Amino acid sequence: MPGQRCQRRAGCRSGGRDAGAGPGARGSLPGRSGPGARGPPGQSPCAMSGVPGGRRPTFSGLAGERLLEKAAGARQRCGSGGGSVPGTLLCTDRRLAFLPGQAPGSRGLLHSEGEVALPCIHKLVAASSFSKPKVLTAASTLKFIPEELAVFCRDFRLLHFYFPENGLSSEAFRVANAIAQAREAAAWLGDAAEGHDGCSSPGEAPPEEEEEEEGSSTTLLFESLRDWEKELQRLGAAGWRVSAVNERFDMAPSLPQYLWVPSGLLDHDLKRTFAHFQERRVPRLCWHHPGGGDLLRAASFHPASEPGSEDVRCLEALLLGDRGPCVLADVAELPTLADIQLAHLRLRALCLPGAVAEEKWLSALEGTRWLDHVRTCLRKAVEVVLLLAGKRCSVVLQEPSDRDLNCLLASLVQLLGDPHARSLPGFQSLVQREWVAAGHPFPRRLGLLCRDSPREEAPVFLLFLDCTWQLLWQFPADFGFTEAFLLALHDSSFSPYFSTFRFSCQRQRRHSSMPRLPSQTYRPTGGWQGPGELGGSPHTRTFPPVWAWGRRYTRQQQQQFRNPAGPPAPAEPPAPGTPGDPCPRKGSRLVLALAKGSLCPHPLPWWSRPPPRPPHRVSPSESQGTRGGLPGGCQPSPGLLLPCTAAPCVRLWRRCYLRGLPQEQPGRLAPSLAGLAEELQLLQERLGAWAGRRPR
Amino acid sequence: TDGRHQTVMFETLEDWRDELERTKGNVKYKAVTTNEGYRVSEKLPLYFVVPMCISEENILKYEGRGIPIWCWSCHNGAALLKMSAFPKEQDDSTSQMQKAFLDGIYKTISKPPYELVRMDDLSSSLPSLQDIQTAYTRFKQLFLIDNSTDFWATDVKWFSLLESTNWLEIIRRVLKKAIEVAECLEIQHTNVLLIEETATDLCCVISSLVQVMMDSYSRTKSGFQSLIQKEWVIGGHCFLDRCNHLHKSEKEEAPVFLLLLNCVWQLVQQYPPAFEFTETYLTVLSDSLYVPIFSTFFFNSQHQRDTNKSGESLKTQSGPFRFLTVWDWSVQFDPKAQAFLNNPLYAEKPKPDRSQRKTARFKHQRQLSLPLTQAKPSTKRGFFREETDHLIKNILGKRIGKFINSSDEPPNSLREFYDSWHSKPVDYHGLLLPRIDGPEIKVWAQRYLRWIPEAQLHGGGTIATAAKILDLMEEVQSLQVKMDEERSQAVSGDVHSVPMLRNSARLSSLFPFALLQRQSVKPALPTSTWKDLEDEDDLVKRDDEFVDLSGDML
Repeated sequence: MPGQRCQRRAGCRSGGRDAGAGPGARGSLPGRSGPGARGPPGQSPCAMSGVPGGRRPTFSGLAGERLLEKAAGARQRCGSGGGSVPGTLLCTDRRLAFLPGQAPGSRGLLHSEGEVALPCIHKLVAASSFSKPKVLTAASTLKFIPEELAVFCRDFRLLHFYFPENGLSSEAFRVANAIAQAREAAAWLGDAAEGHDGCSSPGEAPPEEEEEEEGSSTTLLFESLRDWEKELQRLGAAGWRVSAVNERFDMAPSLPQYLWVPSGLLDHDLKRTFAHFQERRVPRLCWHHPGGGDLLRAASFHPASEPGSEDVRCLEALLLGDRGPCVLADVAELPTLADIQLAHLRLRALCLPGAVAEEKWLSALEGTRWLDHVRTCLRKAVEVVLLLAGKRCSVVLQEPSDRDLNCLLASLVQLLGDPHARSLPGFQSLVQREWVAAGHPFPRRLGLLCRDSPREEAPVFLLFLDCTWQLLWQFPADFGFTEAFLLALHDSSFSPYFSTFRFSCQRQRRHSSMPRLPSQTYRPTGGWQGPGELGGSPHTRTFPPVWAWGRRYTRQQQQQFRNPAGPPAPAEPPAPGTPGDPCPRKGSRLVLALAKGSLCPHPLPWWSRPPPRPPHRVSPSESQGTRGGLPGGCQPSPGLLLPCTAAPCVRLWRRCYLRGLPQEQPGRLAPSLAGLAEELQLLQERLGAWAGRRPR
Repeated sequence: TDGRHQTVMFETLEDWRDELERTKGNVKYKAVTTNEGYRVSEKLPLYFVVPMCISEENILKYEGRGIPIWCWSCHNGAALLKMSAFPKEQDDSTSQMQKAFLDGIYKTISKPPYELVRMDDLSSSLPSLQDIQTAYTRFKQLFLIDNSTDFWATDVKWFSLLESTNWLEIIRRVLKKAIEVAECLEIQHTNVLLIEETATDLCCVISSLVQVMMDSYSRTKSGFQSLIQKEWVIGGHCFLDRCNHLHKSEKEEAPVFLLLLNCVWQLVQQYPPAFEFTETYLTVLSDSLYVPIFSTFFFNSQHQRDTNKSGESLKTQSGPFRFLTVWDWSVQFDPKAQAFLNNPLYAEKPKPDRSQRKTARFKHQRQLSLPLTQAKPSTKRGFFREETDHLIKNILGKRIGKFINSSDEPPNSLREFYDSWHSKPVDYHGLLLPRIDGPEIKVWAQRYLRWIPEAQLHGGGTIATAAKILDLMEEVQSLQVKMDEERSQAVSGDVHSVPMLRNSARLSSLFPFALLQRQSVKPALPTSTWKDLEDEDDLVKRDDEFVDLSGDML
């Protein structure tokens, strides 16, 4: 009997899990408000709408969220066995949520399982036994009473709800239509956020979350000068400084406020270089290898720029400095944005139930080319990190826009080379610096905008997460975080209710969070530049950063973010190396281009003569031949990860992509509600048996 | 009493009787001595088990053909049987007689107390040995690489090449068949009679696999070894011919035993805590197949082994000749290396006392009898089929999966069994069903990639976590030793054992197999790149002219 099973489940949950959770874990969850007093089904949803002026008793992290419709007595299917969980289906103006009804204690444990942010809904389908299944949109509303709702999500989930015929059919009808409408509305909301004039931010600004968890407190957001200075110090990059030249975003609107540039280059000189790069995104330091190599990133040279001699001096000081040979690594071999989007679409289609016959699965997987793209990116990153680690040269990552694949490459290279980036706070800081601050256009790339915006969707960030997962899978003992963490991040990226993924660059983020003042652009420089001041301002963060995990995940869930088999101690800062190490080829002004795994001399655009010798092509026989000495690289240095990019070693991220398949329904953090309860009971029985046998 | 931890060789009548007792099959089945002196057939073992009602006369009639031979009994009494079929006869009257004989046999074993019998002719329901051999040859080819150029050349098409070998598909079909058999035994309470011409090839694969899935004893090391003895070594699998040890005829060659190990590996990697042994164990076992100092995998039958033991050729040798068994792992590995064969995270079965066993049994049945489908869900789930199809056709134009379509067919009890089992948490000591959907069948990477330098990961791979776990276990053990000492107040010397792995900081993913000492790190960046940089000074000199020129521009 279903009822009995649920009773049992609820019982053991409150007995086991909650006891461990402790009172402080999440005291403000709606389900907790009255587990004993479950009278009318509408009670807990009412609590969700938020009491004005109350102490944020209800929603975790989302202020101003409105409840639109609810349907009590809905059931969510779990797994393919036909089991289901009764509960309430809610539609707010931001998300669709399912509250398991009869296991109130479990609400906190798994509440993100049954939730979808509205923009994450890819397709909404309603069905009844009297009519054909219908795709719901805001324009075409429902004409029949739905018995069942299927929600196809962008994050590869597939949620099934159904409404047993018990007189609640009108609720089902209303909630289905509400979801369709709200979804459209939510898309527009995203569009507004894209504009430069701030967003329709909810009126009240929530105070900072009372419990600042460890993860987010040690994560550098790179919104203040202090963060940039702190990180530069950690890297031990002598010869580099933080420049505040872009503090007002007037040099390059899409770049962060602070840039790492050579110490020898004055801001005055630096300003001359902006015009010569697309989107004015000049070369700047990303990472410094303790052995001496520097990683830079930049946009392409502006095709129309013709630098004068003074400009050339500044450009070369920025690009070449005194740092020995400089390697330009472009993204020509990497997949284009369109490739990535197409592969992702194909992958999503492949991961739907019954997409392909099982014996054709492998070739269908190959046909998506997704894993191909993963491998290409990893391979390129390995090439770059070997150059940095093995040869003391600087590598400049160059992408036309410097806002997509450069983010991916720059962060992958650091994951390979920097143990700190493989710790949980280190990884969060990395994403914050190379993606968020660097101006990756998240809303456009993740398709969170409304439909008529130009099709610029390309999940570059998800490709990066997949690459990271490959590394995690290949080197399970080298990461401080787990697959569960990556999954949580993957899923969060479809939810625009975090400042992290809501904006395209720091400037937008900053503007939307500033109180709108007409004189804003004319304010004197000293007006709001103090970094500490900004952080403390009550209006700066309307939305929390995604790293505030405590708002959405319980302690137990967050514990699963940490890798028990990870590196023993928090990775210590890399040995300062030899900071002022005199470079053997000081001022050699050698510029090479990295293409297809080989290097060839390459002129900078303002050098008029072709390079003195023809580009050196590598013939296959030569490249496979005797292994030349690999100075400094014979033994891979301890902190360096060199993933295998051969096809048998690159795998499908099953727990992420196959969640929609019935046989894979077990959730991302726990093996489904019913499964968990059952397992708990099994364990308790076993424990009881053990205790009984031990004579004490 | 110590029998639990020893491999049962099944060379004596006692062994068979113990096995019957262990599986509670002794009520309806008996071990027979009819074949002593190989009176019945040289292909059959000296002792084997048949239904009580089968007479000695019948066994002798067709050299043991047409006789159901017992493999194993399920906890509910249903049994797994195998039978070697009659070859196709030209002669009508002979085949009539054989048919009558078989009918008689079937009648006897279908009557109570025996359960209904379901027959499964494996030669028609599974790929032929020829298919298996072809697929494996092609599959092996993917990993036999002369140089890394070839390796990277196949890289782009890896998945479709892998698929076209058909090897993984064969593994899937075998696993599926085993699930089918398990469903008959467990849910339908019918006996299953596997039929094959000699009953020593695919019969062995399926019956062993079913026992691994259904009998947690077969998932311990000694249990698995006993199983191999029972079904394969004594059971009469033609190792000599199938492995082609003597390079006599390639026609008979087929990697049947490897097929079993590949299937078991799928289970091991899907449910690691359920097995006392590791994938490394399976890998070294598969290697031992070709180590000729062991008698275990060298002969076609028990008879052949016995005759060779006492054969003329051996008498001329000086000293007593001793056949070694593979199961004595100390012959091949020192104790440290043997540690890699045992799974440190094996979820050991709590040793049952009487009452305990009862609850365990109850639990098992409760799980299976639970109403898994509530309120006619299977028809409802069909609603979205059309929608999904549509979506897929729009995006991909790909073929629609079998399972989606099959929901139109009458309820598929096998699929239901599979789905409902998978929607439950796994009881590592109960029934274990492999996942067989598209992405689930994988390449046994440890076995097939271990000699490929390109696939090496320094400090990575599964060994990275395994090493950590072993470290932790050692730490726990040493702490326990310390605690015991504290308690007994004993003063001891240095009991601190040297950790196995702790000092070897970063292992290769190919550990413990290939310890390839490679000069360079990776071929990801061809060596010529480095040459370029080595020539740098030279380049710089040559670039001087060029650099000067840009200087002119200033």
